[in-house]
Formats: sequence, C-alpha cells, structure tokens
Amino acid sequence: MTVDQISVTGRPGTDASTARTTPAARPRISMTGRRHRAFYLFTAPWITGFLLLTVVPMAYALWLSFTTYDGISPHWRYVGLGNYSELFSDPQTWKSLGRTGLFAITSVPLSILAGLGLAVLVNRPIKARGLFRTLLYLPAVVPPVGAGLTFKALFDQNSGAANGALTLFGFDALGWLADPYARYVLLMSVLWAAGNVMIISLAGLQDVPRELHEAARIDGASAWRTFRSITVPLLSPVLLFQTVTGVIASVQTIMPLLLTPDGTTAGVTALPQSNYLYMMHVFSQYFALGRYGYASALLWVLFVLILIATGLIFRFTSGVVFYNVDPEAKK
Amino acid sequence: MHPRAGTSLGRAGASLSRRRFLALSAAGAATGAASLSGCAMRVSSGVSGDGETVTVMAKPDDISPELIRQAQKDIGVKIVTVRYDITKLIGMMTNGAPPDLVRGVGATDAPYFAARDVMEDLDPYFARSGVLTSSDLDPVNDLWRYDGRTQGKGPRYGMAKDFSQDSMFWYNTALFDTAGVDYPPETEPVTYEEWLESAERLTRRRNGQTIVFGGSYQGVLTPNLLASLTASAGGSLFSDDFSRIDFTTPEARKALAWYVEYGRSRVGPSIVQPDPNAWDGPTYQAHRMAMSNSGYWLGGLINTDKKLAPLSRLAPAPLFAGGRRVSPCQAGTGFWMPKRARNKDAAWRVFEWFFGEGPAKARASGGWGIPTLKSLRSLMPAQEDYQKRVLKVQNAELKHFSVIAFTPYASADSLYALFNQEAPAAMNGHLSVDTLAGRLNSVMNEQLKRGKEQVG
Repeated sequence: MTVDQISVTGRPGTDASTARTTPAARPRISMTGRRHRAFYLFTAPWITGFLLLTVVPMAYALWLSFTTYDGISPHWRYVGLGNYSELFSDPQTWKSLGRTGLFAITSVPLSILAGLGLAVLVNRPIKARGLFRTLLYLPAVVPPVGAGLTFKALFDQNSGAANGALTLFGFDALGWLADPYARYVLLMSVLWAAGNVMIISLAGLQDVPRELHEAARIDGASAWRTFRSITVPLLSPVLLFQTVTGVIASVQTIMPLLLTPDGTTAGVTALPQSNYLYMMHVFSQYFALGRYGYASALLWVLFVLILIATGLIFRFTSGVVFYNVDPEAKK
Repeated sequence: MHPRAGTSLGRAGASLSRRRFLALSAAGAATGAASLSGCAMRVSSGVSGDGETVTVMAKPDDISPELIRQAQKDIGVKIVTVRYDITKLIGMMTNGAPPDLVRGVGATDAPYFAARDVMEDLDPYFARSGVLTSSDLDPVNDLWRYDGRTQGKGPRYGMAKDFSQDSMFWYNTALFDTAGVDYPPETEPVTYEEWLESAERLTRRRNGQTIVFGGSYQGVLTPNLLASLTASAGGSLFSDDFSRIDFTTPEARKALAWYVEYGRSRVGPSIVQPDPNAWDGPTYQAHRMAMSNSGYWLGGLINTDKKLAPLSRLAPAPLFAGGRRVSPCQAGTGFWMPKRARNKDAAWRVFEWFFGEGPAKARASGGWGIPTLKSLRSLMPAQEDYQKRVLKVQNAELKHFSVIAFTPYASADSLYALFNQEAPAAMNGHLSVDTLAGRLNSVMNEQLKRGKEQVG
C-alpha cells in the first residue's frame, strides 16, 4: 500500500484525545483502487456465473471425456484418450460434422442477407414503418420449441398447410420432413428468425452518417454503388459480428431436434440424414445412448473447432472490416 | 409411437380427457367409496405417511393436481411432483437426492435399473401390506421383478398402474365397410401377413397424401415390439443371458422383414412417415385410421366418443403363420422407489394408495387399462353393449398373456435410437433386410457389450 493511498487523520486542530475517541478512520482508496473495486464488484456476478456455470461444467465434461461413465452404472472406468480416438473412427461424427459445416456456410450468409435486406427495407421512410419492423421481428421472439412444433405441423405430409397449398394447385404432396426436402425446411426455420439479424443491421444502418450518402448522390452515384461503397463498409463490423455469432449458433443449432419425427429422445436418430447435424450426434450419444464420456469428448472437439473457426474468420476479415476508430490506436 | 411408452407428446391428446376423467372420478370415488371399500378396501401396511412430503417424478398424466389434493385428503401425504426426465433423474440420483417414487416402464426400465442396483427391493413392503397382497397381484406385475439375471423372477422393484396386451389392435368397422374388407375375427388372431394385406387395402391416398391410414403397428417402443414379433414367430431376439441380440435368426429376421415392409408400404405411421400427433388417438378418432395397434387402454379414449365407440372393435394380437400365439404387455408403466429415497415409508404409503386404493379404482373403471390387481377387474367398464363386447375379447386374450424378458444391459431408448439410425434406409428401399439385420446386430451388440461392462 502506498502513502498516497492512505491519508493520516492528523489534521490540524485534532488533539490526541479526540483522535482516540474518533472511530478509526477508513483508509482512503485511490481512484484507481476504487475503479478496480467497482470493476470487480460489478463483474463479480458474471464471473461467478461464468465460473460455476461454464468453467466448472466444462472441466467436468473434460473429466467425463476420459471415462466410460453413463450417469448411472456402477462400473465405469477411465479410458484415457480412448473416446477421442474412437471419435476419429466414428463415421457418424465426420458425416455430421460435414453436414454442419455445409449448414453453416449456407445458413449464415442466407440469414445475414435476408436480415440485411429487411433492415434496408424498413430503414426507408415508408408508411407504417414501425408496424413492419414489429411484424418482421415478431417471429424471432417466438420460442424455438413453439417454432419447431409449428414447422412440424405446417410441413406434415398428410395434414400440413404446405402440402394443402400444393394440392390445391394440382401438385402432388411432398414429404417435407424427410430427405431430400428436410434440409430446406431447416433453412426456412433459420430464415424464420431473420428478424434478429434485421434488428442489429438496422441499428448499424442508422449509424451510417447521412452526409456520406448525400455526398455520393451529389457525385452521381447510383443507389447500388452507394450501398456497396458506403453502407456495406461502414456496416462491416456489424456484419463481422453477425458472421461470428451466426457461425457459432449454426454449428450449435438444436433446431433439427425440434423436428424429430416422434418427439422422443431416441427419435433424434430418425431424423433425415441431411438434418442429422453434429449437435444431434452429441445429443443422441448423451441422452439416447447414455454415453456421457464419448459425448463429452465430441463436445470438447466441437469447442476447439469453434475456436479455430472464429480465429480464421477474424484472420481473413481483418483487411475488409472498416472501423470508425482505429482498434489498435489505444489499448 | 405408442403413448404408453411414455412420450409426453404422445399423451398430449389424451391428457385432457384423462385428467377430466380423473377429476370426475375423484368425486365419484368419494361418494362411492363406502360401497367400494366395503368389498375392496383393506388395511394398509400400517406404514403411515401422515404429514410427510413425498417427491414423485412423474408425467402430468400420471398424477394430476386433483389427485395430489386427493392424496392429501385421503392419506395426509403431500405429494410434490417433478416432471419425468431421465437426465434430471440421473442428476438427482448422482447428487444423492433422488425422488421418492419414479415413473417407469416395467417392461424395459425394471431390468435396466435393477441391474444397476439403484432400485429398492419392495418385497418387505409387499409382505406387510394389506392393500397390495401377492395373491391379488396380476401376473403383469412380474415385469417389475428381476433376479439379477432374468426379468419376471426375483424381488419386486415396482408395480404397474394398469396394463394392456399391446400387440392387440382396434379397428373401425365403418372404414372396413367403406373399403369392402372383411372384419378381423374377435376370437381368433389374424396373421401378421393378413393384417398387412388388409392395411394396404384399407389405405386411401390422394395427391400423394394419405387420407386414411390402413393400420398403425408400432408397438410401445420398437425394441419391445421386435422382441414380441420375434416371440410370435417362435423365437427370441436376445441370447439366453441377454448379452447379445440377433436379427439373423429365422424368427427375428421374419419379424424384422415384416416390420420393414410395414414401414415401406406406408400404410401407417412409422419413423419414415411420422404422425405429427405422435400417437394414434387423434387420427383414429378422426376416422382416418382403420386399425390401431393399441391394447385395451385405447378404450379409455374410444368410450368417450359416442359415435366412434359402437364402430370400434378390439381384436386379438396377430401371429405369424406357423408361429405361436403370444400376447405380451410391452409397457406395464408404473412406479419404483430409488434405493436412496429419503422418505421410503411415506413413499410406500403413496404407492399403496396409488396402486390399491381410490386412484386404482378410478383408473379401473375408466377403461384406460386393465387393473393390475385382480380384485379390481370387476370395475372395468361393461355398461354398454360395445363395452361388453370389448371386455369379452380382452378377457379371452388374457389366456395368452406372457412376459417377454428384456435385456438389462441397454435401455430400450438406446436400442430404439440405434434402430432409428439404421432402419430408415431399409424402409425407404435402399437397404436389404439382411444387410439391415447385420448392421443392427453390429451396433446393438456393441451397445450391449458396453452395458455389460458397466453393470459388471
């Protein structure tokens, strides 16, 4: 503790007896100390939650990944890296990982494009703009379980509205929830929640200085050129954020789970192959087959892959993302 | 999917009517208690739970709020329910705070949990009980026995709340008339081959959509169904020590081939043509399903529909040509007590009350299953002609009841998941039955091997 952090109570006019009867003065803490204390106080709930609800479960999962534990049986054992080596020879792991990658590179650009398109539309001075913004955002606040059940009902082959519309126009009904159409239903379910992307893009659009657009218009730039050369670069940090969070969310998606044919835990493996993504494989190993150890290994591998993917996205976008302030200027 | 397998979705359609029924029957039970108790109510084991709280892990349909209030009134025990969830159950057991009673499917859960030594042996409680006496217990309760090797023998670990012979099927005579198909006989079983042929003739399609399903045949859970089908063909799906499964024996292959053909023909719901309702009730009730592989319990729904009930008939479990007549219970859903339950005496008092007193009588008279106490059989609904007719068929079928033991080394869910993983390709015509049988043997035996290692 330094001298300037503690003020002595020996102020002029204070005699010894007064000093004795006065409660011990609290040491004065410097501004930096106060800032540190405030920082830790305010972040303590989050740090506690992070430690208890993220670090501890992750550590527990890491420990599980070295065992054959199934949650209930008495004779589990350590298998070292056995679960990790099994993972490399499990064809379902690689197939589901491939599908997940394909899903991510399809669904993320689609949802960003759809959300950005909607944001551009509702950013224009149109009538009832507030109403349109609300309506377009509304599906995003529908709980995923509700959305999943709605999609199952809509796309049921024999009683769904989608086939009702097709047969009305003389077409044959399609098996929407089976291959090869199930992947499109899954993509539609992603686009269903494009309101989330829209709302963030809208905030970004409103941050683009109007004078830049006016200057471009005076210079004779077309709307598309203005959008491409001014709006998109200024929106690029928002788009990067949406790409990173979108990739993480799509890799971890459990939406197909809500489309399981019979609604049971074991029904996850009956999903059409195209919708049997990596998290479905994890889910089936955990809860249908009771292989807690192996499923934990799958999750840890996914965690590492997400870290790598995020790093790669930052690496490859560093030259194209435009920041209003130089992120390197002050650290 | 059969709702008695325990899917929450599966019961969704039935829950309202069942709850309503239970609410009404609670009042009925109160007024009629004197007369009923005169002949059936006996002295409990002397175990008192008065003033205690018992935690029961169940599904909403198992114990309704009305029933919880009734328990407080009848036996002074406060029941706290936790929604059934296997993951939550494992978590609670791992933490040393399991529920006092847990819902379970006797046919598959009993050997699985008993082999892992987490179930309380209830024999001492049964021995002391005046309500649940061994002589009064229906043989279906043997599904809850396990001697360390075989299901059906040894200590009792639980009890079924009601049961059905789940290979039987209901049929809608109006849809048979429309299609010009002869009704299945009510006394003698049809063959599975005949059943499928009728289902194909009864199915009506338009523009790629199925307007009327010819028949649903999915059992309670596919592994139990396949074990039952194999038994009906005269074989056994599991090896004698239950450590292996074999789909390549002639009997098991016949069963598997039939079920694949059922899925391929699209005459009813299956994993390749799922029913959005997840159970047969609503489709059957809407006259869009000619045959439903559901046991007596579906009468609980049918009896409430005055138009449907006279048109509906119950038929014996089919058998394979050249096979043997078996009519097992594939579920036997009930409750068990974890070994580390904290409030065992009070839990037993709830157990006795639920399985032998007011709620048991209400269930018996509702038609949602056959009572698991012989003394309650007289309460089964038989007021209307159609109810008498159904009861006659059901009583005749009881002679063919048998317990088909299930492996303790894997949960039914895990085998079901593995079946779902492999079978769609065959049902879609991309895989031969023999190849499927080989693949099922491979993945399921791997799971059984892991389970055997875990059990020790």
